[in-house]
Amino acid sequence: MSQFRVGAKPPSLWSRTGPTLRLVVGAVLIAAIGLLGLTEKTLFGVTVPWPHAALWGAVGWGMVGLSLRPMLALTLLGFAQDIAFVAPLGCFVLVNLSIYGLSAAVSDAIDPETDPFLSWLAPIALTAAGFLGLWIIASSVADHAVQAWPLLLAYFSTVGLYFFVGGIFRLGRAPGEPAGQGV
Amino acid sequence: MRRLGLGVLMAGVFGLIVAQTAPQIQAWFSPVRTVAADQLSTSARPGVWARISGQSERERRIKELEAEVRDLARWKAASISMAERMESYEAMLNALGEPPARGVTARVAAESDGPFSETLLSNAGRAQGIEAGSIAVNEGGLVGRVVQLGERSSRILLVTDFNSRVPVLGESSGLRAILYGARDGMGSLTDLPEEGEFILGERILTSGEGGEFPRGTVVGTVVYQGDTARVVLGMKSGQGGFVRLIPPAAIPKPEVIPPTPPQVVAEADAVAERTER
Repeated sequence: MSQFRVGAKPPSLWSRTGPTLRLVVGAVLIAAIGLLGLTEKTLFGVTVPWPHAALWGAVGWGMVGLSLRPMLALTLLGFAQDIAFVAPLGCFVLVNLSIYGLSAAVSDAIDPETDPFLSWLAPIALTAAGFLGLWIIASSVADHAVQAWPLLLAYFSTVGLYFFVGGIFRLGRAPGEPAGQGV
Repeated sequence: MRRLGLGVLMAGVFGLIVAQTAPQIQAWFSPVRTVAADQLSTSARPGVWARISGQSERERRIKELEAEVRDLARWKAASISMAERMESYEAMLNALGEPPARGVTARVAAESDGPFSETLLSNAGRAQGIEAGSIAVNEGGLVGRVVQLGERSSRILLVTDFNSRVPVLGESSGLRAILYGARDGMGSLTDLPEEGEFILGERILTSGEGGEFPRGTVVGTVVYQGDTARVVLGMKSGQGGFVRLIPPAAIPKPEVIPPTPPQVVAEADAVAERTER
């Protein structure tokens, strides 16, 4: 006997996946975008600002509360970013984990399902906080205020694309389910 | 528990970042990073971190300057060779060039109520060996000429003054003209040749005509305002408050030889006739 009612729209394959698979898919997507971004992309001679995809994971995965596996994934991805960006080891890890923690705190404080405005505003603010943290760390390490515009361009591309790919980074917490139980 | 885990992880990462500021600890990571960067092929282009921190810009500038230094080294070698050739040619021709520059470096101050609108007062005068008509130069080029000489001070008429007249020539074009000062702080050219034009950007030097200024002192560079050639004065680039006062390069007139008395001429003619006989 089918478990779905006759005539009802069957749930999508994605909606039936568990948090582990979603975490893996999200991490693979971040890694793939990061690898693609290793070479400079230009469009009509203008460098395309490449998104910092790990922040999608930090914001999206944090929305279901704190969990160990996203933390480890963000740590590994952060170290990969540090190496790829030739930054001091730990800079991107610290930013990713900070935003992950902030995202979890925001999800504890508000329920994005009941407050759609905040659900839009939260990724924008969290991503901005991530780039601000990156700028502060870069300036501290370089011992002078570093250029902000490359980060600003990357911020806009990261936030803009998050609203398209953000669903991939939702680990499937059902409404009403306590935070932290998604994974 | 998870919060504690996150806190510990973040503290550990922060400690790692701080530890890397020590060169000894950074040295542990460098080989690993180099290998990883080589594998990722990111070493061929500047990283985002290098771009935002300005490191890539500095490296690009260093490369530019290195290329310029290499270029200048070639020019230096060429100029030394040419100078040696010129010295040998001058020696062959027994040519007399400009006399070696002597002079006194003096402090100058602006003057607001002098007889000219563009003058400076220097704290060197006759007592310091300054001569009337000495020319004043700074690190940028010709500044002016001493028009009034006191015992311990002198007044310098600047080339920016309307009453100043300096015979000049274009270094590349070889054209000659007279330079005078204008109100906008640039030099204007008059008595221009009917044919030929000054080349944009060429240096303007003193031509030495008239003997008031030595030949070859830098005055400025040519710019064009519409069809009119103007001179951006070199003295503007060096206003450190000091000038070097160099004695005038005037060539002394030959001494007048007194005419020979008629009886001496007659005696000389008589002696010559006797000798012929």
